Order: sequence, then structure tokens, then C-alpha cells
Amino acid sequence: MIELAAAKKNVTGILSSIRKEGRLELTELDSKRVLAAWGVPVNRTELARDLSEAVKVAREIRYPLVLKIASPDIIHKNEAKGVKVGLTSELELRQSFGELIDNVHAYKPDAKILGVTIQEYLPPAREVIVGALQDPSFGATVMFGLAGVWAEVLKDISFRLAPLNAEDAREMIQEIKGYPVLAGIQRAPPADINALVDIIQKVGQLAHEFPEITEINLNPIFAFDDGKGAVTADARIVLGRGK
Amino acid sequence: MSGEVKAIFEPKSVVLVGASAREGVGAASPVFFGSLVHNTLHFFKGKTHVVDFSGRLNGSVKNLSEVPSGCDIAVIVLPPKLVMKNLRKLFARKVKSMVLVAGGFDQHQLEELTRVAAKQKVRVLGPNVLAGVINTAKGLCITLEREIMPPCGGIAMISQNCAVGTAMLDRACSYSAGVSKFASIGGGADITETDLLEFLTQDKETKVICIYLESVRDGRRFLESIREAVQKKPVVVLKGSTVREGVERDRIFVSALKQVGALQVSDIEELLSVADALAKQPCMRGNRVAVVTNVSGPAVLVADVLSREGLALAKLSNKVTKKIIQTYPNTSIADWVDIGIDANGDRYKFVLEQVLSDSGVDGVVVVNELKSTFLKLEDIQEVAKAAKKSEDTPVIDIVMCGKDCVLVREKLRGKDVCVYDSPRKAARALCALCSYGKTLKRFGK
Repeated sequence: MIELAAAKKNVTGILSSIRKEGRLELTELDSKRVLAAWGVPVNRTELARDLSEAVKVAREIRYPLVLKIASPDIIHKNEAKGVKVGLTSELELRQSFGELIDNVHAYKPDAKILGVTIQEYLPPAREVIVGALQDPSFGATVMFGLAGVWAEVLKDISFRLAPLNAEDAREMIQEIKGYPVLAGIQRAPPADINALVDIIQKVGQLAHEFPEITEINLNPIFAFDDGKGAVTADARIVLGRGK
Repeated sequence: MSGEVKAIFEPKSVVLVGASAREGVGAASPVFFGSLVHNTLHFFKGKTHVVDFSGRLNGSVKNLSEVPSGCDIAVIVLPPKLVMKNLRKLFARKVKSMVLVAGGFDQHQLEELTRVAAKQKVRVLGPNVLAGVINTAKGLCITLEREIMPPCGGIAMISQNCAVGTAMLDRACSYSAGVSKFASIGGGADITETDLLEFLTQDKETKVICIYLESVRDGRRFLESIREAVQKKPVVVLKGSTVREGVERDRIFVSALKQVGALQVSDIEELLSVADALAKQPCMRGNRVAVVTNVSGPAVLVADVLSREGLALAKLSNKVTKKIIQTYPNTSIADWVDIGIDANGDRYKFVLEQVLSDSGVDGVVVVNELKSTFLKLEDIQEVAKAAKKSEDTPVIDIVMCGKDCVLVREKLRGKDVCVYDSPRKAARALCALCSYGKTLKRFGK
């Protein structure tokens, strides 16, 4: 872990500024800022308030890109048709920008729109979820599963109390029924389990150090092949009412 | 902390306080008071004093002031109002601990009670403790039920609910599984599951700790206590209240228990069958199980259930196989060792000795079929002897027929062998021995 005291100070700063704005649910951008400050790998994500900013940021991050709506009122961005993945040119960006905002307006006319986030595009990988919550009896608890149907429909997920050691985190990964998918089936190389172990431990530590965080959801995390790391592509953090 | 709980489990003197002529059907009714007095006079090896406010029971006194000062436990079978009224007098007798049988205390009364008790350094079990405390070695049986005193043994039980606790005791009696200590927590105003767990971890007579839980107060402290306990002895948890608390919370609980090395069971029956094995048999170093049987059909079912539970069938070494075949040429050795329907005690003895000498065997299941074979009830003693002799490999017994199983259990009563009436129970017991072996390895024991 990067130096704990410094990381704690950074995260505390971000969280208190969110509270000052009277918000409890962090946007994707805020959530990723917290995670990055905590040493959890996230894909590069920048806010663009209008088209000209978007064009500028896009040139910096470089194509292909991901475009997502930035609004504190839109939690399910896909449902609002507020996501475009794999934009390859400025022309596409210019077309998509307006389209995205129109879609979200149609979905929820009173949604406050901050703009869009321009994000680094991640190549296809196995997708996993890491989450955390505060259990009323046991406190900080981490969750792991494969993203999508696996976790959401089949409930193929595992839990451990945080903080947890690397062995516990590894056991969490091996415990799910879908583990062979990560270990590598049909001659696929294994996914980078060590990178996932690290993320699980860090997310657990974050929930443990900040009991005011009631929910953390990294969904999905792109787990690349062994040795190539894992990167959080979307994230959501929720704060409790107290404090 | 555990030193203070000691008075509850290991009293030298007990004072029972109630009223034999009260009207009422609650926990503090005269009937229950009568049972408690009976149990204590009948079993308890220490000194018993009875205070009967109605002044009718033989050998009782009417006033608290007539009881000598400094008794280890005061068991109070009075309704809340009377408890509160006599609180000062009770504490004036300088009792070391208190068991409150009746429920129905309001918040104010409980606060008052725990405040005074804490000031006087008196530990309180309850309120609402109908099945209270048992210590078989000392003959202590603070329960409102007659005929519930289990035999002496290595199983300790903690229950958050009295009726479930009573059912656990009843099962222990019918399994003839020996119990060291028992306590139910009731309302848990003072003494908690964690206090009891910490005491039982240090208790020399306790070999395995069973806990029935619905919810936990100081969750983290409780888990830390389990982590400490499992390094000395196995802890088996039966968790209730999934419906009330939801599936996700239950899964978190299950994972947390796994993380600290506790074993989990799904009902009282399994709790007892697993605890019996853990108390009597060594744990398994690996997951390879040898099956020795005098009939092949039931062995098929045993093999199936072992594999479902994640255990493997052991493959005997050539040396051991040869030795068995040389002596008993009709033995069939493949997935299991079928020693034939004509097998008697001697053959069981010889084959078990050979199988247990094989380093590729982590555990042994013996199947005895008494019906339509030449095996006699007496012959099964050899299984008990092998189980007792085997120091690092567990041996457990399955008798497929229900009535025969009762006979075998009766025959082997008091012996260090576990007898099951179904392959599933036996497999669950072996799984527990296997996972506790893993837990010890994890903690470097």
C-alpha cells in the first residue's frame, strides 16, 4: 500500500468535500478519485463539461475511447443509454457527445448533467466485481465475484471480513464456482490473480479504515492475463448518513 | 474475564431461591422450582441451599438471611418484580454469580440489575434461562427439565436459546455423546456467548465447543475468541435466523466463521454427530478415506456420499493389499475393502490393523451389516478397540439398519467410537475431522 497516512488524508479530503456538497452517493469520477488515492488501479477518467473540452481531453488520452454521461442523478448509465464504448475518432466523438446527452435527457428530464467523462478504453478481458459493505454485526466486509450474470443472477459470490490477508483474498477468488474461468479454461491463460488479490485487500482496507463508507462497488474490473494486471472500469461509492 | 465466569460452571455451593406455593405458569412457577431443586439435590456434588419464600419445601429455609454468605451461584426462580424487591438482600449474601430463570424484565429493571451486579462484581446469566448451566463432572444441573443430565464427556455446548439448548442436550443423551459443560445465555444481560467461549477454550475437560447462535453482539470480539479457541480445540457453530436476517447476511456470517476456522453445521442432529466425532477421534491429515465393509451394497452408497462431500477413496498400498489377501483370500479390494458376509470380529480386527498401518489412509469408515450376515453384535467391539488404538487416523462406524444401530450404540456405550445410522452423517463427521485438520495446519499446530 502506498503510504497509509497520506492515502488516508487524501481520501478524507475527497469524502468531506462530497459531504459539503450535500451528497452521499459519489459519482463514477469521484469514486475513481478515491480509489486512485487508495492505490487501486482505475482507467484514466476525465470530466469534460462541453464538447470543446471533450475534444481536448480526447486528444490527450488518445483514441479509442469510452464516453460516459457524468451526472449525480444517473446511477445506471447503461440503462439511460449514457455510455459509448470504443470511439475511434474525433468525428465519432462529436456525433456521440450530443447523442449521449439527448438520451439521458429523454431518460430523466430533470437529471443534473455535469458533462461527460472521457475514459481510457480497456481491451477485452475477463470481468470481475469487488465490493464492500458494513455488516451490522461484523463491520467491514468484502465481496468478490465474476461480473454480470454470475454475480447478479447466480449469486456466485464470496465474502470475507476486512481487513484480510492475501491468503484469505486468494481463497475468496478460488471459492466461487466460476473460478475455472479465471484459472483458465480451453487453453486460455490464467487471469492475473495476484492483481485481484491486491485489489480485494485494498478495497477491504478502505472499508475498514472508513466505516462512514457504507458501500463500495467496483463493477466491472478488467482482469487481464497473468502478469498484465487488473484495472477498474467503473466504480460507485456510497456514504452513510451519520458523521 | 473467564475467571469470573468460573463460579457459574464450577461452584462449590449453590443457593436456589424460589417460592413453592406461588400461583403462576411462567418460568418462575412452583413446578419448575421443584424440578430445579430435584435436579440439584439429586446430582450436585457440592453444597445446596434452598430458600423457599413459601416455607414449604423440606430442608429449605424461608429467608435469604438464613443462607450462609459467599455462595458461588444463586439461582433465582422468581418473577421480575420479586427479584427486584429482593435484590439488596440477594447481594447482601455476597453470592459470586447469579442465574435468572424468569424472563419479562423491563429495560429499566435490567439496567438497575446489571448496574448493581457490576458494582458488586457479580456475573449474571440470563434473564430467561430455563435450561441454565450443566457441569457433568460436578453434577451441576441447573435446568428446569428433569432427566436431561447427559453423560460425562468432552462436548461443551452454548446455546442462545433455551429450547434449542434443551434439544441439544436431549440429542446428546440419546446419542450417548458425553458432555462436559452446557450453558444457555437467555437474554444475555451480562454474560455473553463470548465470555462462555473464552472460559470453555481454557477448560481442560472440554474437547470440542458447540454453539447455537441467532445473532452476535460484539461480532469482532466473538470472532477473535473463535480464532483463539480453534487453535486449541474445534468450535462447531449452528446458526439460526437466516430467514429473519436475510440470505446475504447469513452468507457473510458463514464466511466470517470460515475465515476464523470454525466449523458450521445445518441442524442439531448434524451438530451432535460432528461434535461426537471431534470429541472422540483424531482429525484427518488429508481427505483419503478407506471403507471396510462386510457387504458391498451399502459401500456403494458410502462411496457416493464421500465423493459428494469432497472426500476421496483411499487406494491401499500393494504391501497392505497383499497382506490382507494372504490371510483372507476372499477379500475384495478395489474402491472399498469388502471382507465378506462371513466376516467375524477377528477378521475385522486384522483388516483394520492393516488398513490403519497404510500411510495412504487418512480416515477409515467401517460398515457393519448385521442382517443376513454372520457378523454378531459382540464382534463390533473390535471396531471400538481399533478406533481407540488408532492415534492419528479416525475410525468411525456405520450401521445401516436403524434398529441395529441403536443396539450397536448401546453395546459400545462409553467407548471412544462414533456410530452413525447413515452414510451422510458419517461423511459429514469425516468432513469435520478433515477441515479441522486443515485449520490446525493453517495455524501451524
